[in-house]
Amino acid sequence: MSVMTVAPPVRALMRKEWREFRHHRMILATATILPIAFLVLPILNLVFFDIDRAPGGVNLAVGQAMFCFFLTPVIVPATMAAYGVIGERDQGTLEPLLTLPMSDRQFLAGKVLAIVIPTIAMSLGIYVAYMGVVAGAVHSEVRGAALDWTWPFGMVLLAPLLALFSTLTGMTFSARAKDVRVAEHLSGLVLLPGMLPVLLVVTRTIPATVVTWVVFAAAVGLVDLMLWRSAQRGFDRERVISTA
Amino acid sequence: MSAGPAIELQGAGRTFGERVALQPLHLEVARGEVFGLLGPNGSGKTTTLRMLATLLHPTRGKAAVLSWDVVGDAMQVRRNIGVMPEKPSLYERLTIEDNLRFWAEAHELAEPEAAIRSALEFVGLVDRRRERVGQLSKGLKQRVALARAIVHRPPVLLLDEPSSGLDPSAAVAMEGMIRDLVRDGATVLMNTHRLAEAERLCDRVAILREGELLELGTPGQLRARLLGNVIEVEFNGAADLPVQRAVESLPGVAEIKWSRGRLSCRLQDAARDTPDLVARLVHAGAKVVSVRQAGDLERVYLELMARSIRPELEEAA
Repeated sequence: MSVMTVAPPVRALMRKEWREFRHHRMILATATILPIAFLVLPILNLVFFDIDRAPGGVNLAVGQAMFCFFLTPVIVPATMAAYGVIGERDQGTLEPLLTLPMSDRQFLAGKVLAIVIPTIAMSLGIYVAYMGVVAGAVHSEVRGAALDWTWPFGMVLLAPLLALFSTLTGMTFSARAKDVRVAEHLSGLVLLPGMLPVLLVVTRTIPATVVTWVVFAAAVGLVDLMLWRSAQRGFDRERVISTA
Repeated sequence: MSAGPAIELQGAGRTFGERVALQPLHLEVARGEVFGLLGPNGSGKTTTLRMLATLLHPTRGKAAVLSWDVVGDAMQVRRNIGVMPEKPSLYERLTIEDNLRFWAEAHELAEPEAAIRSALEFVGLVDRRRERVGQLSKGLKQRVALARAIVHRPPVLLLDEPSSGLDPSAAVAMEGMIRDLVRDGATVLMNTHRLAEAERLCDRVAILREGELLELGTPGQLRARLLGNVIEVEFNGAADLPVQRAVESLPGVAEIKWSRGRLSCRLQDAARDTPDLVARLVHAGAKVVSVRQAGDLERVYLELMARSIRPELEEAA
């Protein structure tokens, strides 16, 4: 969804969020350091992978790398989402914000899109960078396994849905918790078990096929839809203000 | 949009569980009026403001802004109000103009940059628009908060203690800005603890205590009602016999007290009888310097609080 096609109040909120993210050290650190680590570590792992010593370990090494890329859209938005409502409340801006001509749905959409869009761009961006390095700098057998087309297929399909899953979970807790850390911890308790199916694929317990990714995507999509509806239904302006 | 009052509370009340934050309140604020809500902490002032700002629903009765119901037409109400909370509540990491830009864009203004400039010119901060809000003093933050509240030119302003925490000169500047907004046609409902400010600014005030309306009227009406119609006249020189007789002959005058160059007396109706009193004094040869109703809103307020607490104390005793 382009920023130009969303409602003006949603667009205004997204722009405001992005301006704030740029000046928020904690968010900036989470949004830059983690993706860089998740890009560099898998590359180093594959570049220095000794095929002669562990000939059967290629798939495991590639799977480990892929887990980092699937983890990025889950971990990066968690902190930003936790700040979503609590951050506004802590700096006292929530009350005037809720007097703007913006429906609950628009408020949530603005907050969610402001997090999801850069997360998807970052997740796919580092994955493209990884593929570029792998294409030129690793052993041909490792390259073959790493660039198997089912991985980018799964990544493109799942990264946006996982980003949405993480953001909606974080926002749900942010609207209810009194403290950012509490919201982050509670989100983590939900998000990590949610990553179990991906873990089973990257470790090859479940084969990484198109069908597997489509089934996972449908399941995550369904959860996202339920979370979105629940976030809308559960967003109570009076409670959000009085939780402070 | 009808031409009714700017703000209307029809038995609007609010409870939080068992606790009554605001007893059913009937109130109308006319367009272009400055209306003050006075009262100690916990008296229901902020609850009233929050209901009108669509942040809280009334649990009883109805509240409307420009005839838009605060519950059923919340979006219309939000488009027509400018809210300034007690604390500036700004995005401290953003610049002054970015704070205003968000508001202007969210209100879907056709020319947001012109609106931002106009609001900043009004509060005198155009030259500092690129400064981060976090680096500003409290007084400047309050100005930014006011600029944000008016960037979309709302007809109704809800101000929660607009001069709270400001030094005297900043408070006077804020008062001047509010006066200018009213001159431009805005209606203002403000909460304040600064009684002198309320007296200078407000056309009418309501005094609340523990969620209950104690008094409502112009500062002059409240003074007359609670302190009596006591008039103080200052004049040059001593009051000679003809002057004293002129005052004593006025029908209904009582409690006449003379001191050097000063007269204090109680009239039946200050608004009606004061011109007659002054005319008699001048006719008798007194050189009148000033005439004023005795007492101020602060005395009214304290008197009212004392009266409302007295029965409780007697009951406790």
